[in-house]
Amino acid sequence: MNLTNDNVNIGDQMPVYTSAPITRSHLVRYAGASGDFNPLHHDETFARIIGMNNVIAHGMLIMGIAGEAIVSWTPHKYLRKFHSRFLGMTDPVDWNDAENTKKRATIVVTGKVVKKYEENGEKRIRCNIVAKDLTGSRKLDGFFIVALP
Amino acid sequence: MTDKSKIGMEFPPHTMVVEKAKIAEFAAAVALKDSKEEIDPIYYDEEVARKAGYKGIPVPPTFMTSCFFWTDGLMDVVKALGFDLGKLLHSEEEYEYLGQIYAGDVITRKMKVVEMYERGQKERPGRFAEVTVLETQLINQRGEVVTKVRSTMIER
Repeated sequence: MNLTNDNVNIGDQMPVYTSAPITRSHLVRYAGASGDFNPLHHDETFARIIGMNNVIAHGMLIMGIAGEAIVSWTPHKYLRKFHSRFLGMTDPVDWNDAENTKKRATIVVTGKVVKKYEENGEKRIRCNIVAKDLTGSRKLDGFFIVALP
Repeated sequence: MTDKSKIGMEFPPHTMVVEKAKIAEFAAAVALKDSKEEIDPIYYDEEVARKAGYKGIPVPPTFMTSCFFWTDGLMDVVKALGFDLGKLLHSEEEYEYLGQIYAGDVITRKMKVVEMYERGQKERPGRFAEVTVLETQLINQRGEVVTKVRSTMIER
């Protein structure tokens, strides 16, 4: 069924989106794609100098995953605004302890329609979103606005 | 240390071409996929994109971040505002989409410092942060503002 303004209601949930567990290879791939080469995201020796145990995922990668969750529900051409607040850091999988570290590296994005209104001559929908890892730790919250046909 | 005299400062504009292959690479990266075969074909096949209602190959919703990083945005900000990279955190990001960006577009970023303020109390380290808000307009080759970006950075 195509998503339209009429068949979306306040309180509706966006389909839950679950990412693959984030690995260091994913961080390198995202660094190369986005151009964000802050060493904190790929160089463990730099991370230790600034007091961290591990490299951490780019906050913008988590927002990118949330964006992927959004466009798997509603096409990007309808998107009018996307806001994220970064709440927590994400450690990637450690391959020498994969069983215990996969959950912290797996991102689950949920969303809920909170408002339907008119703006700029368009019918718009506001949806609040949250990204957590599989242990329940919050990574990001925010909202997006779409103008559906 | 935030220098409030920098509020209102405009950075020199930077221009980049949105390379087609870079869009597929970005789409694969945020989908956590290993090859472009596994991503939505609207990000590499122009015919599929047109059938889906786009005028060309579109970009994923957070691609705009690469219009900052690929034009040395991070280094511009660190140098001009004197940030310590080891203490800098990205706190918030917002995109207002006024148009679409397509493969082959020439995008100019115009960025300025719009806010600087302190949050928390200096006597309580760990709770104290200096906040800087940057606003950027992304303008295409026809002079249309396609996205407005608002980025909040904090230094702890």
